[in-house]
Amino acid sequence: MRVNIDYISRVEGEGSVKLEISEGKLKNLKLNIWEPPRFFEGFLCKRSYAEVPDIVARICGICPVSHMTTSIRALEKALGFTPSTEITNIRHIMALSQIVASHLVHLYMFALPDYHKLTSITDMFPGFQPELKRLNRMKEVINNLTALFGGRPLHPVVMVVGGFTNLPSRDMVRKMIKDLEDLKDDAMKTLRMISSLPFPDLTSTAEYVVIRNPSDYAINEGFMVSNNRINDIEDDYSIIFVEKEVPYSNAKKTIIKDRGPLMVGALARVNLNFDMLHEDAKKTAREVGFSPPDYNPFHNILAQAIEIVHGISRCIELLDCLTLKKDEIEIKVREGEGLAVTEAPRGLLFHSYKLNRRGTVEKANIVTPTAHNFWSLEENLKKLVEQHIDEKKEEIVLKCEMLVRAYDPCFSCSVH
Amino acid sequence: MEKRKPRLGFFKYSCCAGCEFQLIYFQEYIIESLNSFDFVYCKMISSGGIPEGPFDVALIEGTITESWQVDELKKIRERSKILFSIGSCAVNGGIPAIKSTQPELEIEKRVYSDLSTIHSIRPNTIHSYVEVDGDIKGCPPGERDLREALISVLSGKKPDFLEYSVCIECKLKGNICVLVAYNMPCMGPVTNAGCGALCPSNNRACYSCWGPMKQANALALARKFEMMGLSPEDIVRRFTLFGSVTTEFRKVAEIYES
Repeated sequence: MRVNIDYISRVEGEGSVKLEISEGKLKNLKLNIWEPPRFFEGFLCKRSYAEVPDIVARICGICPVSHMTTSIRALEKALGFTPSTEITNIRHIMALSQIVASHLVHLYMFALPDYHKLTSITDMFPGFQPELKRLNRMKEVINNLTALFGGRPLHPVVMVVGGFTNLPSRDMVRKMIKDLEDLKDDAMKTLRMISSLPFPDLTSTAEYVVIRNPSDYAINEGFMVSNNRINDIEDDYSIIFVEKEVPYSNAKKTIIKDRGPLMVGALARVNLNFDMLHEDAKKTAREVGFSPPDYNPFHNILAQAIEIVHGISRCIELLDCLTLKKDEIEIKVREGEGLAVTEAPRGLLFHSYKLNRRGTVEKANIVTPTAHNFWSLEENLKKLVEQHIDEKKEEIVLKCEMLVRAYDPCFSCSVH
Repeated sequence: MEKRKPRLGFFKYSCCAGCEFQLIYFQEYIIESLNSFDFVYCKMISSGGIPEGPFDVALIEGTITESWQVDELKKIRERSKILFSIGSCAVNGGIPAIKSTQPELEIEKRVYSDLSTIHSIRPNTIHSYVEVDGDIKGCPPGERDLREALISVLSGKKPDFLEYSVCIECKLKGNICVLVAYNMPCMGPVTNAGCGALCPSNNRACYSCWGPMKQANALALARKFEMMGLSPEDIVRRFTLFGSVTTEFRKVAEIYES
């Protein structure tokens, strides 16, 4: 029996799964990411450092902020610029708002229909009015939060190398804090709803990799850790990881040198950084029975719901301590190299740049969360199919699609 | 009897999928949009779908960078009553078209060591391959024009898209001109409106993410930038960020490249 899922729906971008079962055994399984390449790393060369954040934002329509914050930090390292605590805090708010927004789309619009045997959010209109109203309320406030500091929620413009070109007024920030307070209940309801879903069983052996920060739930900076020996500064990224070209895919596969597959993203973060989550998130997570470490990749969406609770509560704290004092943006252009490793909604994101003395990009490299997850997603798909090998074709297709969606891949990002 | 909902197809080519996200997550009237149309094909929100159509309206996002996309696009055009290009990639090449400003093989080699499985063609707009009934401009697409497009389909009228420059939006908002007053290399005078003059309202020069306004006098602005002391390289960069394959901006790039 051959199974071809040519174009996986309700994910970001274009990918397919092809597999073959004969005599009750899985013969072959490939995840083919056929998203067309756009060659960002190629055409970033010869562009000015100042244009880079606006360009890389366009790698992804769901996580533009992550590509911006990551590129900005890498470029600032290359230029020898250290941002103030205020700037760092606002970038943290921006990144969290992005993570919450991305998780909301994924949970309600992409993942949820599967668990109710529906094909689309449009099928949910009759029976799921309270859930959809909740989604709408939450996405409205979170989009406004990104726009408060970025100018607009999608492809923000105010965040640049060196800081922010404008800041909101104290009153606007106060109003936002109030709006976010009102969302806390919705966030907890979201987590409770997700925790009650009938998750398929699967045990992953992939190594979880995240960044960790001793003083916070790490998003924009930290050192790299895993549940198997990795404990290194971000500058050692290229010593630990290696990118491989794959003949059947336009996305490269990123692996830990001489080791097995890895998994990054919400589940990896909640597993390894559970102690750093906001109290609200820890409390609600325990209430619904989540206890780390959790090795079922389907629970990635549960981890996303935990992060929604964290993101909202943490943003309120961060907003509360802003001074909102505007500083002039001053960058002295120089030759240099810099890299940054951050947590995008889907996991570990790496950007590195080499600039010449005029601030022109000479070399760029970007490795996205989905490239880090590529191998483990393939391996876990194999395991899943083997567990359900006697089931009907439609069931196997649905289970595979559900697992791909649980990883929340971003194929556009992975090819870029 | 209830009127039949218009059949909508949404197709993504080489891009960030942000336009599809603008439609289903970022704009204000999502519930209304999702309720008013029959989403016959839209991979982001629904499994299955009928890519063959027919469609009352097709929305096309993304730059064309592979030849299969051209074949598919032509088929969609045949089976759609109305076809809109949505977002800067589809309308004017957008960010992926920066690739066309440098030797393309060189760029491809910087990314892949083995190019045998890569089949990219020169990035180009939707217009360059099929007739288009209107452009929903912007990166991300402007809410006003997106709404106008959807309402025009529902009410059977011709869409009335914004066709003036960002300067008009600054004047309407009472902004101080960042080009004249602060010497910032603002692309507003040659850029199509729709963002609400977002960058100039935030102490930043417009970087033209909406692409050129029709028949903009781009060369005059380039001369102004030259007088302000911008290097030829910087001028070329400003006119090749979005819309490097458009007639309006390519002219400037060609003059300042030589």
